Amino acid sequence: MRRMDQLHGFLSSLSSLIPLDFQIWDADGLVYSSDNGAKGSHLTEQQAFSAKVMNQAIYQSNSHNGQAPMFGMPINYGQEVIGSLIASGHNAHLVGRSEDSPQPRIYDDKRMKPFLTHLAGLAGETWANRNEIEAVAEELSLSFEDLSLYARISTHMRSLQFSEEMLKALVKELQETLRVDLAFIELPDREEYNAIVAGRELQERVSDQEAFAHNLIQSIPAQAPSLEQDYFIVNDSSTMPGYRELHPEPYRFLAVRVAHDATFDGWLGLVSFKLEEHFRQSELRLLQSMAKQISALLANVDLYHELEKFVINMVKSLVFAIEAKDVYTRGHSERVNRYAMLMAERLQLDKTQQDILNWASILHDIGKIGVPGSILNKPAGLNEEEFNVIKGHSKKGHDILAPLEQLASCLPGILHHHERVDGKGYPHGLKGEEIPFLARIIAVADTFDAITSNRAYRPAKAAEKALAVIKEVAGTQLDPKVVKAFKEVFETTLKAEFETSHDE
Amino acid sequence: MGNNKKVLVIDDDAQIRRVVELKLRKRGYDVVMAMNGEEGLQMIDSERPDAIVTDIMMPKLDGETLCKQTNHLKKQRPFLTIVMTNRISPNDRNWVKEMQDTELMEKPFSPTRLLGCIDEYFRRSES
Repeated sequence: MRRMDQLHGFLSSLSSLIPLDFQIWDADGLVYSSDNGAKGSHLTEQQAFSAKVMNQAIYQSNSHNGQAPMFGMPINYGQEVIGSLIASGHNAHLVGRSEDSPQPRIYDDKRMKPFLTHLAGLAGETWANRNEIEAVAEELSLSFEDLSLYARISTHMRSLQFSEEMLKALVKELQETLRVDLAFIELPDREEYNAIVAGRELQERVSDQEAFAHNLIQSIPAQAPSLEQDYFIVNDSSTMPGYRELHPEPYRFLAVRVAHDATFDGWLGLVSFKLEEHFRQSELRLLQSMAKQISALLANVDLYHELEKFVINMVKSLVFAIEAKDVYTRGHSERVNRYAMLMAERLQLDKTQQDILNWASILHDIGKIGVPGSILNKPAGLNEEEFNVIKGHSKKGHDILAPLEQLASCLPGILHHHERVDGKGYPHGLKGEEIPFLARIIAVADTFDAITSNRAYRPAKAAEKALAVIKEVAGTQLDPKVVKAFKEVFETTLKAEFETSHDE
Repeated sequence: MGNNKKVLVIDDDAQIRRVVELKLRKRGYDVVMAMNGEEGLQMIDSERPDAIVTDIMMPKLDGETLCKQTNHLKKQRPFLTIVMTNRISPNDRNWVKEMQDTELMEKPFSPTRLLGCIDEYFRRSES
């Protein structure tokens, strides 16, 4: 029984006004005593008396047997006896006093019984109130727990970047906030997303947690009625064949399907060895809505990957289309792409810029699709008109890709890859810093490959010589900063490659 | 756990006070409560708590001002302050960083975590 400060205060005051001591006992022992100096032997006697009161659940007294007078009344909460209220005479000299004593005769059952009935009723009521308030507060506290979990989980879910880390973080939140020993997500067709988080106690109890989790899922009976609501629950594994065998100690287990519409991805599961607590309805609901969202997010990830694959394949066929037309430049787009990316690393571009450059460099000549093959493949001697058609390819490339939203960021790199830092390039005649940085990188890679590869209008030159040319035009045609980066890349990586392939 | 340690809870929301009080008492802490910052300030002086849990948005005196006005006391008599707020803003992080033994916690809060944070502080300060 919990402390009831007001009632205890009342009994203490009462004890100082009348010659009675009060005690409250429960099954665990003494809860309260108005006599702070209560003696050991006396206490044992009182404890036995209190036990008798609680067992028989009715008023008891021993005032007639010559002992120290004691009176006891059970304290009830509903039908249940939760303790006892004991009153005893606290003046030793009163013990055994004769019937015709001048002392006030309050020690008889006729007066004590109704008095203690009211007092014990008061104690029971106080206890019930306290109990109910605490139960409500405890319930409130659990709702706070749920709310906080909802809030934190929705923050995780809001971030669009669906990743293994995000799932891991979600599972960890579940394990911590729901105070379970194990939380996991098992997705059979996407094992890279599987996550498992175990509390310290479980780590000691189960060595192979993944196998344990897997067995829990495998043991779910296919016919369980709750599966219609996409969950399965075991409140006590020791009573459940199939689960009893998985661990010697009893545990409880809750699993929720990660699924939406007709798609099934896997399971979200919780395990706890604390059987005194149980899975709550609100936890089940939270888990269910989380599982549904995870499943929807997984579908989004698929869509995104498919879209990405589609774009990559489309780009590949576009590149293939240019190279099919321009036989002399086979492999040019890939090489320019490679040189550009080597420089990007050297120049320490961030991940986003590198991604954009990757696309822009592989697609920089896409506009050549719009240039007639007769011009493109002419070995030498283009007239001015033909040359202008060729010069139009960077603008054409830009226009071809402009409708593709995903590639919007790489358009400037394509449009301006023939600009010159001295402003004499095309299509816009931009100067120096006006030229987008990525376009300046592509320009260096493009120029180098144009010289080193076997083009229709120019014989192949040695790579060393190409580098010399590039250095020469740094500051007029090309950006010196980028040329410097290229020189370094050449020395560290490309030079050796050209030397080994020289004889082929 | 929590023996003889006194925690002051300052919040104008009665439900929050009730839940925090219950959790702390169950763990064996003494609990005193204030309904606004002004009252809280007086009780930090009169009750000398070992830890305070305070809201930021409160009538009369807000949590930020309360923390700033009491931070100097911690040099002589250290105590933990847990500041609870609905949305942690960068500004909150900045001023809380300047305070001694002060932690930020977002609402809706988890009572388990709050208790864990308080237990942890006393474990550390005793060792």
